[in-house]
Amino acid sequence: MSSLNASLVIALSGLSAEQGALEATTNNVANVNTPGYTREVPVLATNDPVVVGALTFGTGVDLQSIESIRDPILESRIQQETQIQGQLNALVSALQQTQVNFTGNSGDIGTAISNFFNSVNQLSADPANLSVRQGVLTAADNLATAFNVTANNLTAQRGSLDQSVAQTVGQVNQLSQQIAQLNTQIADLQNAGESAGTFLDQRTHLIDQLSGLVDVSVIPSDNTLTLTTANGSVLVAGQQSFQLQTQTSASGVQHIYAQNVDITGSITSGQLGGLLQARDQQIPGLETQLDTLASGLANAVNGVQAAGFDLNGKAGTNLFNPPPAGGTGAAASLSVAITDPSLIAASSDGTPGSNGNAEALYALSNQTIISGQTPTGYYSGVVFDVGNSTANASAEQSASDQILQQLNDQRSSISGVSLDQEAANMVQYQQAYAASAQVITTINTMMLDIINMKVSP
Amino acid sequence: MRVNPNTLPDLLAALQQSQQQINTDLAEIASGKSVNVPSDSPAAAAGLVQNASDTSAADQFLRSIGSIQGEVQNADSTLNSVITALQRAISLGVEGASSTLNPADRAAIATEVQGIQSQLLSLANLSYQGSYVFAGTATQTPPYVLDPTSPSGVTYVGNSGVNSVTLGNHFTMQTNLPGSQLLSASGSDMFQAVQDLITGLQSGTGIAAAVGEISTAYNYIDTQRVFYGNADNQLSSQQTYLNSETTQLAQQQNSLGGADLAAVISNLVNAQTSRQATLQAIGGTIRTDLFDFIK
Repeated sequence: MSSLNASLVIALSGLSAEQGALEATTNNVANVNTPGYTREVPVLATNDPVVVGALTFGTGVDLQSIESIRDPILESRIQQETQIQGQLNALVSALQQTQVNFTGNSGDIGTAISNFFNSVNQLSADPANLSVRQGVLTAADNLATAFNVTANNLTAQRGSLDQSVAQTVGQVNQLSQQIAQLNTQIADLQNAGESAGTFLDQRTHLIDQLSGLVDVSVIPSDNTLTLTTANGSVLVAGQQSFQLQTQTSASGVQHIYAQNVDITGSITSGQLGGLLQARDQQIPGLETQLDTLASGLANAVNGVQAAGFDLNGKAGTNLFNPPPAGGTGAAASLSVAITDPSLIAASSDGTPGSNGNAEALYALSNQTIISGQTPTGYYSGVVFDVGNSTANASAEQSASDQILQQLNDQRSSISGVSLDQEAANMVQYQQAYAASAQVITTINTMMLDIINMKVSP
Repeated sequence: MRVNPNTLPDLLAALQQSQQQINTDLAEIASGKSVNVPSDSPAAAAGLVQNASDTSAADQFLRSIGSIQGEVQNADSTLNSVITALQRAISLGVEGASSTLNPADRAAIATEVQGIQSQLLSLANLSYQGSYVFAGTATQTPPYVLDPTSPSGVTYVGNSGVNSVTLGNHFTMQTNLPGSQLLSASGSDMFQAVQDLITGLQSGTGIAAAVGEISTAYNYIDTQRVFYGNADNQLSSQQTYLNSETTQLAQQQNSLGGADLAAVISNLVNAQTSRQATLQAIGGTIRTDLFDFIK
């Protein structure tokens, strides 16, 4: 047997369900510009029917849950690509700064090498001329300065990358803490059987940011997740975060420790990975090449000096102060050892007008004295290396940007709020609400009819 | 199938790209170079390093040629004066050999020859920009000094050193002749010959033999000085070669790293058009949606 009250209850269930659905729609519209927000969809389900005799009566509608529409696999893919993009951004930015040292402007090493040998050729044409000799000393000085300046620039850049590493680690730690906190809130809600949609969105957004900074592996478990670096060092385990530490190493740069284990060498992705690659591989490699060039040149020139005679007929002495044995630091410390122009050993037989040794000095410019290459040839190889590394990284960066854009478009097509759709939903829920309200009005009228029934006398 | 409702990020990314393209094109037009940093084209950047070095070396060779050519031309014209002086000495000697002269006449001629002797000493000690040209490599002191104990009246204190200078790729050139080879070589020593003529005129005997000596020296020096004429020619032709090499290097530099202005400007126009179109598209994205139509 049906009853008016039962109908009333059914109509009421309709009202509250549509009202709740409308709330979800309103929330979507309000959050249309919130970064990382995934749209919510109300899940409406029919209540279980009751059976009375031979009849089955429905019992209305229930707003079961408000579901966030997200694709976890896509999220994970986006996080991976964000790591790659973060690493490439940091690397390209560093390399673009580095290659400015090698652009062929007037103060650079290549020009200084040419000018030095030019001054030696002038000496060869007029070996006893004091002002021509002074020209050689000046050119040698400029060459040393070019090496010094470039080496110092690279050292300074390495220092600022070092600072960035420390800053980035700080950011990573902050994000870990925030994620752990969210994990607590999510666990609480989910344990209570509630949907934690908003917090999940926030957590995904934070993990995306973290992915931009360091290589992150996400391991979901029951109601929570664990975050580790690619090599397994824990960043967040459930509701607890583990901070990374930085410590100055023996070589003077910051190393990164996770629970007292040095993980610097195993971070290869994210902004931290890019910074470390630039700081520990690209720049030191370049510094070594410059040291090789500087020490090779200085030693070769000093050797030729020793084989000749100066303007006073005495055996030649070092033109450059001898570079460190092994070459490390040669570029930064290169300096001229002579101030008296008569000490340049242009003569090959002790007479003041002989240019034989100056010719030998000039010949160095075409001899393969630096690792099988001429000095200029070696330097042009360095320029190629720097340009090539930068160009390759830039190309990869463009590709990564495009992939990430596509992935974000995909995520937006799944989880993004469409105002058109929300407007249509709003109309739909509003009409249903109006219909249920109308039903209630009708039931009310029917009840009044019953109450006002009179028995005729 | 649901489509991406938020296209703004994509449009903004396209806008940034077109802006970057515009910036790159403008930089290329302003500098005239297509390779402004090594990453623009690593291989071209490396090639440009070598090109710059080659160009700079060629310019230096031209400068060195300039300074050597001055010395060579000076030496050549000095030797011309030497030849002229020796010719005069020969005619004086022939005159002095005439049997119609008396000792007083011959003494007068001898005095004139002594004047030529002084002139030859001064010519042999030619100095150019602080260095003595005929001294071999002992260029800081005059190569010939007066020496009464010497049979020729002078002693050579220079040496026999010769210098060669690199004036081009795989091109070196000898730049001097020492006096010991040129002016006072054994068998054709011009000082000895002139001294002998003076002695002959003063004593009255051996004048003809002395004139023969001077002729020998004259012929010898005339032949030797070809060295300086040749050197001058070689320097000039090397100069011509280097000038054309410099032109080729400049062309190579342009082809490696010069901006192709026509192409760049066309790119710039395209990028600006694309940017305009994107801006308009974004402007149109402030569009209406269904909410505007629900009453």
